[in-house]
Amino acid sequence: MSESSNDPVVVVKDVCKEYRKNDNVLTVLHNMNLELAAGDYVSLMGPSGSGKSTLLNLIAGLDKPTSGGVFVCGQDLGRTSQSQLSKWRSRHVGFIFQMYNLIPVLTAYENVELPLTLTPLKKSQRVQQVKTALEIVGLSDRMDHYPRQLSGGQEQRVSIARAIATDPTLIVADEPTGDLDAKSGGEILDLMHRLNEEFKKTIIMVTHDPKAAARAKRNLNLLDGRLVNDSDLANAEH
Amino acid sequence: MHLFKYIWRNVMRNKLRSLLTISSVAVSLALMTVLFGYLSLQTVVQREAAKYDRVVVLNKMGFAAPVPIAHVDKIKKMEGVVTASPYSWFGGKYENQPFLFAQFGVDPDALFEVYSEYKIEESQLAKFKSTKNACVADSRLAEQMEWQIGDKIPLEGSFTTVNLDLELVGIYEAPQNTGSIFFNWYYLDELLKESVPAMSGNAGSVPVKCKVDSEVTLMCESIDAKFSNSENATLTRTEAAFAKMFADMLGDVQLFIRIISLAVVFALTLVTATSMAMSMRERTTEVSVLKAIGFSRQRVLTMVLGESAMIAMLGGILGIAAGLGLLNMLSGVPSLAQFFPFPVSQLVGMWMLGLVGIAGGIGIVSGIVPAVLASNQSVIDGLRQVV
Repeated sequence: MSESSNDPVVVVKDVCKEYRKNDNVLTVLHNMNLELAAGDYVSLMGPSGSGKSTLLNLIAGLDKPTSGGVFVCGQDLGRTSQSQLSKWRSRHVGFIFQMYNLIPVLTAYENVELPLTLTPLKKSQRVQQVKTALEIVGLSDRMDHYPRQLSGGQEQRVSIARAIATDPTLIVADEPTGDLDAKSGGEILDLMHRLNEEFKKTIIMVTHDPKAAARAKRNLNLLDGRLVNDSDLANAEH
Repeated sequence: MHLFKYIWRNVMRNKLRSLLTISSVAVSLALMTVLFGYLSLQTVVQREAAKYDRVVVLNKMGFAAPVPIAHVDKIKKMEGVVTASPYSWFGGKYENQPFLFAQFGVDPDALFEVYSEYKIEESQLAKFKSTKNACVADSRLAEQMEWQIGDKIPLEGSFTTVNLDLELVGIYEAPQNTGSIFFNWYYLDELLKESVPAMSGNAGSVPVKCKVDSEVTLMCESIDAKFSNSENATLTRTEAAFAKMFADMLGDVQLFIRIISLAVVFALTLVTATSMAMSMRERTTEVSVLKAIGFSRQRVLTMVLGESAMIAMLGGILGIAAGLGLLNMLSGVPSLAQFFPFPVSQLVGMWMLGLVGIAGGIGIVSGIVPAVLASNQSVIDGLRQVV
């Protein structure tokens, strides 16, 4: 599980995103430009309605820009069909949700295996990858537990294991600690830090928590659909 | 993990709802199985009847009108006829249980030639022929009634004042469950002559065994022609046509059964669709998560359709199995043996596959709307505040 390249993994170029309802046009993102290098760990902050979730959706290939281009791993997402985007997401993006969003009728093992069922991997390879992912998040001994049998922190760790099981290029996380207590939240941030440092995963994380944002290498602030601050925390430390 | 396993887990997600939906499909399919099984039975009866080169002679005026016993002797002498027998329904009460089984007065000398597929031991047949108050019973009936050779079977007349004091002298085997006993028509007639002379001399109907190389349709015409100028003109049909006549009498009922079945299928589809729609509505976020991590529209569509099809098929298979069990049970009830003469094993046919198809169809049709809605659902709307 490693990812390393000098080329930017994410390029957001002159992106505008508008929503239309009847005759009203709501512009959520204004001429957004952004690049994320491989191995970046970016936090995305801003008040509600600032466009951070919209930006995350565009980068994750869940939505398309009104104008401009979003390129992830060289793929122009705006020009990719929905069915191709589904396949693309299964290979290149891992999702971590605030509410974990595990499938309640599946065990931890099966939840982690779920995205792997979309790949051509053999059963033995899937088993290996699931075990590795669960080992990374420290839940090898909980693989047969259902989500209801896990704590919130453990559920989120299973969610992270699911996100990394396919060895994606990019991990998008939406307030991964938002529903956790401080201790569990800290453990999740440690885990994400490890994914970035040890496994070189490119991570983009939406958060309202300055402490969580501080764990990232780079902090982006959005206001009214515009990027107002881009702090390279990693370099600032040096 | 296979998609099938995930679908199964989803079926079992809300056990009570699934159980109720499966039960509603099962009960309805069980009812349909009995109804369609009965219709199928008519076809089997006609097919079986066509095998044995037999014709049945009735009075032209119908069942209620008599066929004089003298006709039987005349028919026996006709060219192309092997033999013929009177066949007079009695309808007596046995141990105060009315119409428990069918009882017919026949000619013991002719019965097992007319119904050559019925098998009986020679010694028992000989006793049947030589004993005036003798009777023989279908082996299944004898088993159900726990009769042994030598048992007395008293029958109290329901429509006449005549009572029969029969003795079981033989047990015969027949390809289908006739649920009947046969006794000597002349014994009955003798008693009728004493107490109700106006009812004597009536052969009832007359089954006629034709020679193998004879043309049974022409035989019918010949018999009817022979009695066309008599006081009791006849209406002769092949046994298959005779069975069909009974089935045709159910004509309107068949249409009614089919219309009811259509209504049941429609109602079931709505029930299952409602259940699926509720289930999918509860899983809006989950479907969005699946789509986010890479599940295609087709895969979501397959998953939802698979779930509704699995629920309907489970109900269908349970219902069909229960319906077949019920049919088998009905064929074992002595008083119903005439209506259900064959066990389910002889009713196997496309209609069973058709019922399985109906169950599957209910699943697919009921799942279409929830499946299309789920597959077209916006990932972002589904996730809402998430990502």
